[in-house]
Amino acid sequence: MAQTGRSWDAIVVGGGHNGLVAAAYLAKGGLSTLVLERRERVGGIADTHELKPGVRVPAVAHTVGRLRPSVVRDLALRSHGLHLIAPEVRVFAPAPDGSAITLYDDIQRTADGLRARSGQDAASYAGFDRLVRSLGRFLAELGGAAPPDINAPSFGDALTGLKLTRSFRGLGKHDGRSILRVLPMAIADFVAESFETDALRGILAARGIQNTAMGPWSAGTTAVFLADSAGNDGGAAGQTVYARGGPGALSAALAAAVRAAGGEIRTDADVVKVTSRDGRATGVVLGSGEEITARVVVAGIDPKKVLTRLVDPVVVGPGLRWRAANIRTPGTVAKVNLALSGLPVFPAAGAGPDGERLLRGRIVIAPGIDYVERAFDASKYGGISAAPYLEATIPSLVDPTLVDDPKSGARRPARHVMSIHLQYAPYHLAEGTWPARRDELGDLAIQTLEQYAPGIGKLVVARQVLTPLDLERDYGLTGGHPYHAEPSLDSFFLWRPLLGSARYRLPVEGLYLAGSGAHPGGGVTGIPGQNAAREILSDWKKRRR
Amino acid sequence: MARTYDAVIIGGGHNGLVSAAYLARAGLSTLVLEKRELLGGAAVTEEIFPGFRFSVASYVVSLLRPEIIRELDLPAHGLDILPLDGTFTPLQGDYLWRVNDHGRTIRELRRWSKLDAEAYEEYGQLMVEMARFIKPILSIVPPDPTGFDPRQFTPLAGLARSFQRLPEKQQAVFVQLMTMSAADFLAQWFETDPLMATMSASGIIGTYQGVKSPGTAYVLLHHYMGEIDGAFRAWGIPRGGTGGVSNAIGNAARAQGAEIRLEAPVARIMTRDGRAVGVALESGEEIYAHHVLSSVDSRLTYLGLLEPGSLEPEFEDEVRRFKFRGSSGKVNLAVDGLPDFSCLPGEGDHLRGAISYSASIEDMERAYDDAKYGHWSRRPYIDMIIPTLVDPSMAPPGKHVISCFVQYAPYHLDPALGSWDDNREAFGDAVIDRIAEVAPNIRDIILHRQVLTPLDIERRFGLTEGNIFQGELSLEQLFFNRPMPGYARFKTPIRDLWLCGSATHPGGGIMGANGRIAAMEVLRATGRKVA
Repeated sequence: MAQTGRSWDAIVVGGGHNGLVAAAYLAKGGLSTLVLERRERVGGIADTHELKPGVRVPAVAHTVGRLRPSVVRDLALRSHGLHLIAPEVRVFAPAPDGSAITLYDDIQRTADGLRARSGQDAASYAGFDRLVRSLGRFLAELGGAAPPDINAPSFGDALTGLKLTRSFRGLGKHDGRSILRVLPMAIADFVAESFETDALRGILAARGIQNTAMGPWSAGTTAVFLADSAGNDGGAAGQTVYARGGPGALSAALAAAVRAAGGEIRTDADVVKVTSRDGRATGVVLGSGEEITARVVVAGIDPKKVLTRLVDPVVVGPGLRWRAANIRTPGTVAKVNLALSGLPVFPAAGAGPDGERLLRGRIVIAPGIDYVERAFDASKYGGISAAPYLEATIPSLVDPTLVDDPKSGARRPARHVMSIHLQYAPYHLAEGTWPARRDELGDLAIQTLEQYAPGIGKLVVARQVLTPLDLERDYGLTGGHPYHAEPSLDSFFLWRPLLGSARYRLPVEGLYLAGSGAHPGGGVTGIPGQNAAREILSDWKKRRR
Repeated sequence: MARTYDAVIIGGGHNGLVSAAYLARAGLSTLVLEKRELLGGAAVTEEIFPGFRFSVASYVVSLLRPEIIRELDLPAHGLDILPLDGTFTPLQGDYLWRVNDHGRTIRELRRWSKLDAEAYEEYGQLMVEMARFIKPILSIVPPDPTGFDPRQFTPLAGLARSFQRLPEKQQAVFVQLMTMSAADFLAQWFETDPLMATMSASGIIGTYQGVKSPGTAYVLLHHYMGEIDGAFRAWGIPRGGTGGVSNAIGNAARAQGAEIRLEAPVARIMTRDGRAVGVALESGEEIYAHHVLSSVDSRLTYLGLLEPGSLEPEFEDEVRRFKFRGSSGKVNLAVDGLPDFSCLPGEGDHLRGAISYSASIEDMERAYDDAKYGHWSRRPYIDMIIPTLVDPSMAPPGKHVISCFVQYAPYHLDPALGSWDDNREAFGDAVIDRIAEVAPNIRDIILHRQVLTPLDIERRFGLTEGNIFQGELSLEQLFFNRPMPGYARFKTPIRDLWLCGSATHPGGGIMGANGRIAAMEVLRATGRKVA
């Protein structure tokens, strides 16, 4: 093995958004930091894909509104080119009968719109939004701190505990009791406590099952729903925030922040091994055979891969290896991205500028609890949902740069792009293989949308389909799981990803976890990366003392 | 003027009787009021067909707390638990048969998978450790996390310390038990489908959840604890049916001086100035007491027995929010022969334990899928017991009774199906069809058939929505949330009114823990020496 070059203070394995966030904080903290990214560009699933020349589309994630505001501020991401766009429409949910429910950033406006269907739902909406924000605020506090070490609590843990206790008290008796009651609840039950309209329940509940292998009747999906609103402006409707230039623009801004702080980034650098000596991480080995040493190794990739494939099994030990191998990564999400020759017409939205404005939010196809639950049922037995849950966005409506091709000056290759999150498409198929069934998913997404936007199929000029297997192969997500590990109750807080390894420190000294597999979990938040960097820097100072 | 009792207890089910026995033992004048003509609530033996006696509802004992058996000296009052040996899972052309003889079970498992046979030992030991750790939780009063009184957290601090002492792997497994689905939990050890399906079945009994639903691993443990208590001889079927348990507890209560009145249905709880002062019977008779304990479920107690307006509307909303969703039915058969399984023909020891119709995880889960959309399972999961093989006194000579616990039978049917009264026989037929798949002679041996739907269970036993646990054992309805946040300490918003049934911590099953802790709390409130 070739040993080359200098030794680093910190190597970050995986240049996804959390890896970049961690690297930027570490570099700012004075550590010489190197990011190693397997793909040809950084960003992981916060990626913009060029569907055809001059046509760019969010590859996997399509909104970035969960990004923690302090990350944006600390890393000066706006000055590194991040521009966020938040349309006033959060969700547009057409029904098969041509009606629609629209959720706006304005609570009153949303409630007014609900009144035609149900006076009770309209009356409940503001209270529901308040409860979601209150509980989400508490979860954000929980998410912003490293979970305590329960076996040997330190002074810092005690302080965190006190702070959390104070936040918990701050919820008051009602919300305090609520959060302990609702976290393990099924989202179908949670939304039913406030709303009677099945269509409204369905679109709200969809956020509780997004990116999971659970249905709305699965216990713990309320926690997923609330986490989605934690620390952002989501509230009941959820956030809908785009990065200009697609999610890849966020990654580019993060990369710029890393470099500005003195960090280095290498792409096409596939880490195949984390080296260690005497139980201490010493560096990494690349697929090329090149060995790079570092005092600290930070994994932005998923914990199952780190512990079962990168670290020497002898170092991990059989007990932990068994537990790591059992980290559940049941991917259920597929992406279908379309280049369109024109804007699809949703009769439920109406034509003209007003109709067009409605399509700026997330277009959610989840017309009822049973609809979503049945979509989930198929996946339990290795089948693709016959009628899937979809969340589609048309980011080109608010960000024309995605379809502008200023250089050619010729006819635009596409007028719009559409990014479709499709669920459920289980990683483990009962029949056939994903490469053979990939196109089925593209057809399924379009057929499903045809019921709400007739003629959309004729507008498609190019398409990209990412199956869960593609998410694993192209993006390195074990099991194709966008959240690195299922965000279920058995992988939460003190036990995400594993009890005893929830504090960003993996059981090899100097090896850390900074990705979505760590507390508080997945989504484009930057929080695991930020928390991990804080813990790493704190350990670093202690060692220096 | 009638006398005033120290305590009057609504409902002569096993928990009400346990409370009565402990209160009387502490010297309180205690009266139990039972609606029906016999004791036991859902733990009851009845002669449904001439000569055939059935444990009509609850049919096995696995969880009855050993300290209750000891402290109330139940064997002296007639409790005799007969061991049930093993679990037999009939399949098409094969079977899986686990017995109490560990060596035989391992040999049987090795026939299916060497890895599973090895894992079974490790798993079994781990679950013993888990049960040992969690058992203290069954006898503590849940704290109110939003309360400020630090003393209520003392029992939890003890638990936290013993948690810290567990090896990390056991800590992790405990967390998984509290959060995972039974199927996911078991898949960490096993690969044999019928084994995982049969083991996971105890994770869904009495719940409106599937084996893949998060939270069912907890119910698995809830039921597993009884099996581990085997050493205490508390697992099996009571001689004379489950009514035998209730009668033994009733006898113990009477021996302590408690009075028990049958056919004394309570119409309402009388309150004065926000405190309970007694009960009025349907006959109009009024009975006064310093404490009123209700062993019926929370919805019945709060919304059915209290005068409207006794409680805050917000509180009543929370009562309504507590989920019942009965999901199981019971089919009781009187037969003049034994079922003959194609995979293992003839009579034999395989008929003397539980017979589990749980061929695969997918079968179990699809049975739940039907129920999710308001249909009873077309191919249900069945837990079958033939008590007469262990206790021949239950039927005339040469004849048998068969008890079939069936899931899923959702209380709320899809309106398109009609009511449960319209579906009872079709549901019963589905059960017989499922049995006939593996025991084709079943139709020929049936003399009588009783089908109990969740609606029947509600009508007959007063269990809201037919839920056998007086409320779903889902995660958000356990411990300090059972039966509702802020009121999990057996007290109610009405002074001197207490809950003591399965609706309270630690939940359902013939456990008796609820009745015992409730009695302790009442005694503590009266300043008496506890036990």
